[in-house]
Amino acid sequence: MTTILSTKGLHKHFGGVLAVNDVDAEFKAKRLRSIIGPNGAGKTTFINVITGRLPASSGAVLFGNLNITNRPAHRLVRLGICRTFQITSIFLGLTVFENVRIAEQSRIGGSLRIFSAKENLKAVNDKTWEILHRLGLEGKANIPSNNLAHGDQRLLEVAMALAGDPKILFLDEPTAGMSPAETEHIAALIKGLTDTIAVVLVEHDMDVVMSISDEITVLNQGSIIAEGSPRAIQDNDLVKEAYLGHA
Amino acid sequence: MRVVALLILIACLALFPFVVTNRFYISLVNEMLIYGLLAMSLDVLLGYTGLLSFMHNAYLGIGAYVVGLFLIHISPSSLWLAILAGVVATSLIALPVGWVQVRTGGLAFALLTLAFGMMFYTIVWKWYDLTGGDDGLMGVPHPDIQLGGIVLGNSGNPTTMYLLSLFIVIVCFLLTWRIIHSPFGAVLEAIRENEERASFVGINVRRYKLYGWMYACMLGGISGGLFILYRGYIGPTTMSAFAGAGVLMMVLVGGMGSLWGPIVGAGIFIFIQDYISTMTEHWELFVGLVVILLVLFMPRGFVGLGDYLTRFRKE
Repeated sequence: MTTILSTKGLHKHFGGVLAVNDVDAEFKAKRLRSIIGPNGAGKTTFINVITGRLPASSGAVLFGNLNITNRPAHRLVRLGICRTFQITSIFLGLTVFENVRIAEQSRIGGSLRIFSAKENLKAVNDKTWEILHRLGLEGKANIPSNNLAHGDQRLLEVAMALAGDPKILFLDEPTAGMSPAETEHIAALIKGLTDTIAVVLVEHDMDVVMSISDEITVLNQGSIIAEGSPRAIQDNDLVKEAYLGHA
Repeated sequence: MRVVALLILIACLALFPFVVTNRFYISLVNEMLIYGLLAMSLDVLLGYTGLLSFMHNAYLGIGAYVVGLFLIHISPSSLWLAILAGVVATSLIALPVGWVQVRTGGLAFALLTLAFGMMFYTIVWKWYDLTGGDDGLMGVPHPDIQLGGIVLGNSGNPTTMYLLSLFIVIVCFLLTWRIIHSPFGAVLEAIRENEERASFVGINVRRYKLYGWMYACMLGGISGGLFILYRGYIGPTTMSAFAGAGVLMMVLVGGMGSLWGPIVGAGIFIFIQDYISTMTEHWELFVGLVVILLVLFMPRGFVGLGDYLTRFRKE
């Protein structure tokens, strides 16, 4: 199984606080790896550093063999490293279609064409409809995205990330605030993505994590304390201690 | 339908100086057109890219001074060359400023525009030998307006100058409308809506902010060229922070994010300014009052009123 992305000795500190402490991790093609850990374990900071939202303090991020440490986010997206955010981040004033269309346009090209109508970029439009169909949002294409229900906004953000044609997709708590039915829907969708790409999931809903993950990485206080299959993690004493305190 | 309305409006504006032959009113509407162009270019920044510039008038000023100096010192008869020089010089000055500007966003961006604007204002004020300091740049010659070897008239004639302004403002409006609705315009809107998300769908946010900035400043430079041709004079007060706030008010009064709104806003603003200043010299007080009322009761400006009427008719 080929490694898509890996980190070597990655550190991130904020002043004196070590948020990510010497993390070596590997993310493989067509695998779903979840990152779990108690609040403040450094999960979100870890993926923020990988995806170019925060600069690393030291260590390296490798995309295949390419060193991509501290590259700006838009260049990482071009390589196929896409993400969603813990707090929904979409273009609220634009329609659902336009949200996905702009992401497609920025991948396929045409952003510097100033004399043609944006509606005329045929390849971009076709791919946009394809993604909306895939996520079941095609019926809501013309609704302003700020009028969408919370669950659909989370789904739209996944659609925008997928429009970047990712090789690896980072999802930061995609089920947060979703109803059980919506959670089930998005969990199945996330699992389906691993037919083609690598997925990294930061998630608090343990039912989702345990049912769809191939591997799990457990962070505590910025360091990896355990790695393995869902079953192995459930039986791991260190993990129980991190979550529950001294047992 | 909208095209027909636009054509009728253009026809009315083109016939205006032949119906109302009073030179004073022709000049007044000419000034509305010129400031309308400036306000529209600020709308590209504010309404479409989400960047607030307090002193966009600086680029009208730079364009005007360069065109004026070109006509005085280099060639008193080359109108098109002078305008070209004005646009090129404005762009050359706007480029390094923009390079610094786009590294920031939000409040920091707005404060930087104020800092650069004050700097340009001071340069114009103090560099007496070149700009005439607080006396302003006087005695700017009025070249003939030539097109393909045919003399259409002299820029010193209010009617001819008015028609030239109208033509250039229409061309700039159509061009900007096209650009705003292009894939490029969609990128600017994405940046306005959410800068972080824009970079996480693969947009080089700084670069596109710089493109938007350059286009807005270039249009500002064109409005400056028209300004000096129409007035034959410019002083540093045109580049003051006070005048900059006026341009911002034009955009807000008209309604940002529509292109045509700010042009209407410029018309309303200049009309109020002119009308009230015939009654009292404290006209700023009343302009301020009108803006306060508009912000409270018509937060989306004149454009919002249009939307309201359309909805009312449908119901």
